[in-house]
Amino acid sequence: MPNVSTRLCLATALAFAVAPSAATRAADPPADIVIGSILPLTGPSAQTGAGLKAAQELAADLVNGHVSYPLPAVGQNGIPGLGHARIKLVFADSQGKPDQARAAAEELITQDHAVALIGAYISSTTATASQVAERYGIPFLNPDSSAPSLTQRGLKWFFRATPNDATFAQNFYDFLADLKTTKKIAIHKVAVVNEDGLFGTGSGDAEESIGKSSGYDIVARIPYPATTTEVNAEVEKIKSAAPDVLMMSSYLPDALLFMRGLKDQAVAVQSIFGQDAGFIDPGFIRTEGDDAEGVFTREVFSLDIKQRNKSVPLIDQLFRARFGGKPLDGNTARDFTGVLVLADALDRAHSTDPASIRAALIKTNIPGNRTLMPWKSIHFDPSGQNDGGVGIIEQIQNGKYETVWPFDVAVKAVVWPMPAWKH
Amino acid sequence: METLTTFAQLVAGGLLTGLVFALVALGLTLVYGVMDVVNFAHGEFLMLAMYAALGLGLLGIDLFAGLPLVAAALFLFGIVVYRVFVRRLLAGPPEATVFGTFGLLVLLQGTAQALFSSDYFSAPNRPLQGTVHLGPIALEQSALAEGFGALVLTGLVYAFVEYTESGRAMRAVAEDRIAATLMGINVQRINALAFGIGSACVGAAGALLMLSYPVYPTVGAQFALTAFVVVALGGFGSIEGALIAALLVGLLEVLGGFYLSPELKMVPVYLAYLAVVLLRPQGLLGRR
Amino acid sequence: MSARPHLIALATIVALGLLYAFGSKNAVALDLVFTLFLYATLGQSWNWISGYAGNISFGHAIFFGCGAYAAALCTNAGLSPWLAVPGGALVAAGLALVTGFPTLALRGHYFSIATIAVGALVDTYVRTQGWLGSANGFELPIKNGFAWLQFSNKGPYVALALALFALVQLATIALERSRLGYYLRALRANHAAAASVGIDERRSKLLAFAACATFAALAGVLYAQYTLFVDPPSTLALSISIDIALIGVVGGIGTLWGPLAGASVYVLLAKAVALRLGGSGRGYDLVIYGAIICLIAAWRPHGIVGSIIDALRRRRGALEAA
Repeated sequence: MPNVSTRLCLATALAFAVAPSAATRAADPPADIVIGSILPLTGPSAQTGAGLKAAQELAADLVNGHVSYPLPAVGQNGIPGLGHARIKLVFADSQGKPDQARAAAEELITQDHAVALIGAYISSTTATASQVAERYGIPFLNPDSSAPSLTQRGLKWFFRATPNDATFAQNFYDFLADLKTTKKIAIHKVAVVNEDGLFGTGSGDAEESIGKSSGYDIVARIPYPATTTEVNAEVEKIKSAAPDVLMMSSYLPDALLFMRGLKDQAVAVQSIFGQDAGFIDPGFIRTEGDDAEGVFTREVFSLDIKQRNKSVPLIDQLFRARFGGKPLDGNTARDFTGVLVLADALDRAHSTDPASIRAALIKTNIPGNRTLMPWKSIHFDPSGQNDGGVGIIEQIQNGKYETVWPFDVAVKAVVWPMPAWKH
Repeated sequence: METLTTFAQLVAGGLLTGLVFALVALGLTLVYGVMDVVNFAHGEFLMLAMYAALGLGLLGIDLFAGLPLVAAALFLFGIVVYRVFVRRLLAGPPEATVFGTFGLLVLLQGTAQALFSSDYFSAPNRPLQGTVHLGPIALEQSALAEGFGALVLTGLVYAFVEYTESGRAMRAVAEDRIAATLMGINVQRINALAFGIGSACVGAAGALLMLSYPVYPTVGAQFALTAFVVVALGGFGSIEGALIAALLVGLLEVLGGFYLSPELKMVPVYLAYLAVVLLRPQGLLGRR
Repeated sequence: MSARPHLIALATIVALGLLYAFGSKNAVALDLVFTLFLYATLGQSWNWISGYAGNISFGHAIFFGCGAYAAALCTNAGLSPWLAVPGGALVAAGLALVTGFPTLALRGHYFSIATIAVGALVDTYVRTQGWLGSANGFELPIKNGFAWLQFSNKGPYVALALALFALVQLATIALERSRLGYYLRALRANHAAAASVGIDERRSKLLAFAACATFAALAGVLYAQYTLFVDPPSTLALSISIDIALIGVVGGIGTLWGPLAGASVYVLLAKAVALRLGGSGRGYDLVIYGAIICLIAAWRPHGIVGSIIDALRRRRGALEAA
């Protein structure tokens, strides 16, 4: 029968046994900060989604690591403002579908207890996922969807780091205005051609309305079915309209069809402005060869711009090592940046309470040269749109994409007009 | 005068577009005619043929030299697919071939994505990238080659079906399977042969299309969809019907694109199909 | 065959489902259950025209889209989406009658291609109309409450999906035992013989077509209120029609419980495959999904429920023979 002293001894022994572990538990690192990421990991955009995942993971590793770069929130062994807690990305697949994206967002919030969400590339999936976040009061950072409507919904918890299609269309007209003042190139007639999906329609609408309000003559607006296998009628329409400049929002197969058709019909435009997509696909220069010379395309990122952040080539190398040698591109650079924006906000929030994170995001003000992007800054306007973002314009010269605008980050001078196609 | 030139240019473009559809639709209508199977994976066979042509091109074999090789490869592929899979589908209820070939579609697209990624690839050093001028009308050399190929292939298949022993056997099976068996025709062998030849046709089509298009895992889908409409419009099983329907569809698509709007270019095509089958439920030249 | 066992099974499913809907806190699982019954409803709707009537449709999404767009239009105009229930249903039924009239008498693949043509026409129309959202589609404004058919948690949605499925299932049980059902079976067996005894093919099929179109529209309204986003690719595309058809076929075309079985497979597969194989971007999920469909087509072409019925028949036959 244990007497009092035995029990006392046992109790004391137990207390000593427990105390050190309690002490060490207090010294344990704080719990990981869960950030939910919604991406198209299966479905038609799966390949892009895989790249975006790699870019986000790279960013998270750099935030949690100790190597320093001239980038926000990187190399500080986690988030200093939260006791060096590490960020942890949890991924959920949107499958490229808006209803799946909604489910993915729900899962990340209710099961994985994400304190913030990032995603989702395809604008329609970003729309539904961010609505879920709005319902639950969780900040949603969108690094890469360009449909202007996303920041026109009056949402309080939605923040978009990338410029949208309206900005990109404006870039074209700012470029034309700059060409007029510096090189006395006067353009009046613009034709807008776009594929009829979400991307092309938003882009084309913006190009048409901004062009009209800037005083240009939009001589043709030609939406065409994205899956078409021929563009005879479209090219004839462009030919009849006789524009000075052709603005195109197309994917690669249709971009190639148009190039072919324009060459065959000898449609004499002074220049072609492509909105990213098919025009920055490596297959474009590969297929068109010399005929691609002089084509402009709007891009969101370039490895080669003047005054670039010193870390650009280093991050590019790290990314290539993770993703089969593929270089950093506009999409992956933006997603990388998005994670850093969240990390920066978490640091300033000093709390994982979503409302605090939101307040910190509202106060975000990162100078452009502290990021990989060719932006002026990252600063969110009242609608959640980053108003410091800007696209760049590249021109294909000698088989390479060279940054030619804005002029202060340009690497080469503009060649105008496009060299004539050899036939 | 300008409007007349434009019209002539559009008609020329429409006919050439139609011939491309004929090229793709030929194999489909042959297979249907013989064994009542609509191969919903037809577009994926085209896609594989295009990858094969690309592969040969990367090895230095140009598209024209490679064409018979690709056709032969697809012929063998078709025979294998028939023996291993389609034959089983035919033994089941009618809907089995429908969703079985759909499954094949998904499987082949996924396999292509797994093997080749979603990137776009054009054939290297493509010949015939220039333009031919017929008065004020400009014609793509590659489109002319594809059109010529379509006509030659249609002629060859037609001749085969009309004048050879196997071809006659095929027509017999198409007309009445039971009677053909009673006449001593090995229906399974004829079916396999038809499937093989249909695949070879699509193989030739794929090689030719690499003159003007890049290849990627879902490239077949857009050609195939129009091919299905063409074959149905012309009448399932009719080779001449498919050719006529294809030309009609090409003209409607291009003229519709210009005189209506490019966004609506397929509307006259679909309306024409619905109008034709309303009046002739077996299509233009189909069997009743 | 008596309706009793089917009614009992349905009642059990509904009871269990409702218990789970209001008892569970697991948002992910509730989402799966919602999707399951929504797709089962769509599959059953498709089953009427493609299974019972025998006209295989690849354009069924347009009716789903009618409901979804009706809901989107109502809510964006400040009206209750409950108006979209009769509204969307009427439009869908009308569309079914208009498109069915010229096409339902077509045989086999001609009809299927016609449904693709109609589907493409509807899709193109919506894409080119600003008032229908064109390519951008609609977001539905966030609201709350039964009057707005929006709820902040999932329980009520699952309950509604269950109710819709139960409704459609009851209608199908009734169809199988009704005169219309008898006419459709006769037509499927032999058109000529059926016509010779006075069965009006066009009339019977139009009735079935219009009815099942309304079911699909109701599912569309519920989907729109759940997802809060409607655009052509997610509600009108050929790929949606094909998904619906595959659910019907994998489950067992023309069977009562086929659509539920097919929807179960579809939901489980989509989720399981996405979780395991996502992230490489290499399409392995498609390879597996395609392989499974091929295997079912080649070895169990009557679908899950169809194969079970076949097996039961064989056993009954063996028992009788013994």
